[in-house]
Parts: sequence; structure tokens; C-alpha cells
Amino acid sequence: MSAALAYDRAQPTWTLAGIFEALSTRFGGDAEPLDEPSVQRLVEQARTGDRIAAQRLYRQHVDRVFRVVRGMLRSNAEAEDVTQDAMLTVLTSLDRYSARTDARFATWVTSIALNTARRRFRRRRPELTHTGELPDVEDEHSAPERDVDVARQRSALLRALADLAPIEREIVSLRYGAELNASQIAEVVKLEPANVRKILERTRERLGVRIEALLQRGASP
Amino acid sequence: MTDAEIAELWSTLEPSKRERARIESRVLEWLEATETSLVSEWLSLVRENPIGGLALAAASALSLLTLTPLGWIASSMLR
Repeated sequence: MSAALAYDRAQPTWTLAGIFEALSTRFGGDAEPLDEPSVQRLVEQARTGDRIAAQRLYRQHVDRVFRVVRGMLRSNAEAEDVTQDAMLTVLTSLDRYSARTDARFATWVTSIALNTARRRFRRRRPELTHTGELPDVEDEHSAPERDVDVARQRSALLRALADLAPIEREIVSLRYGAELNASQIAEVVKLEPANVRKILERTRERLGVRIEALLQRGASP
Repeated sequence: MTDAEIAELWSTLEPSKRERARIESRVLEWLEATETSLVSEWLSLVRENPIGGLALAAASALSLLTLTPLGWIASSMLR
């Protein structure tokens, strides 16, 4: 019997935590990205109380949410908190999502992430630090040289982001963190698509120049 | 820098395994807590500490029984 079939049959007696933990242990990592119709099917199933569907939706979107909010906030700890709050809102508000009016599910999730990060902004007025941050300790099997290089690039990106205005930071975070196009970003930030394109173009150029300068200077991790 | 280069650079902001695990466990904890009914909370309390749990239940019932008429009396006296 396949593992998936076993989970399906056992589903009614499993707690949500049990399912998440079992899947984490057995499969690790993230699920393969699903196409929009499959995501919509998962949303429908999750609304009827299917816990595996809710778990798959969580896995599909949690990294994207983290990437978006990390670009907007000053620390990994804040990004963790905001990701957690946003994902809880998503999973407990599925009834509010309408495929017809809210377009892609990922765009809806991203809007929730953005609003959660904005609330954090208003509460604590976070500013990205100019010194960047030390990377979290990764698993012990990763290559140290690659880690240093990644940490250097990450630090340069975070420093460059610190120089941007909040709206610019939001727009580039949505572009590169959530991989949204200008029209989708416009929908999320409630601006005209032409305005978003203009801001995006200008910000990308500034960001690129600043990152290159920092990398040439050897931004310390 | 090109669009693709910035996009590639952005992948360095991915959560680490530890961050991912922490977020997941906190989300689970919260969802699990909201799924637990009051009755099952009481039952698990009684299982953990039968005497304390039953004593607490008895004290709660007694205070409800005594405080409700006392409240009525107090409110009628104030009128």
C-alpha cells in the first residue's frame, strides 16, 4: 500500500499536528509547485476540512511568504513571526477566498503576507540594519565556502534593500520574493500597473548598482 | 544587474531548515490548540491530575451555585 493511500485511509483519526509531523519526517523538503487548477482543488478540499489538503497548501506557500516578508523586514526573527501569522490567517480564512474575485490563490496569500508585514511595520517601525545580519547556522553538511559566498550575497542584498523607500521595498519583494508580475503587484499594492512598472524599473536599477558596489567592496556576511 | 540575476540573488533569502521547522511547529501548535475542545481539555486535566481536576470542577460548580443567588440578592438590594 502506498504511503499516500495509507494517509488517506487514516485521515479521519489523525490530528493536524500528527499529519504535518508524519509528512515532514517522511518526505522532508517542500512539495513540487502545483499549477493553479490543482491549487484551487486543494483550497476546495481544505475548506471541507481535509487536513492533508491544508498541509499541502501550507507547504506550497510558506517559502514564498517568507521570501516576500524577509525583503521588507529587518530580521529573520521578524520574518518568521510574520510568516507564521500570515500562514495562520491563510489557513483559517480559506472561506474568504474567492477564485473569481481574488484571482490566483498565491496572489491572495501574498496580499495577506503584505498586510501582516505592514501591521508589523506600523507597530515597530522596523528599519533594515545597515550592517546586515549573520546568517543562521545551516545544517552541518553544507559546504562552508558556498555558505560564505551565499552569506556575502545575502548581506549585500539586505544592505541594498535598506536604502530603499518602503513602497520600493514592497514592490521588489513582491516581484522577486513572490515572483509576481507588474499587474499582479499592482493588484496587491493597489496602484496602477504603469506606476508599478515605473517604480520597479527604477528600483531594480538602483538595487543592482548598489548590490554590485557592495559585492565589489566585499560585503561581509 | 539583470532581472534574472536579482531573482537568483533573492533565493538567498529562503528560510533555513531551522526557520522552516520553527514556523511549522508554531503554526501547528496554534492550529492544534484551536482544534482542542473544552471537554477534551477537562478530560486531559482529570487524566493528568484526577484529584486536582475533580476538585477544581467541584469548586467551579459550587461557586456558580452560590454566587448566582448572591448576585441576585445583591442586585435586588441595590434597587
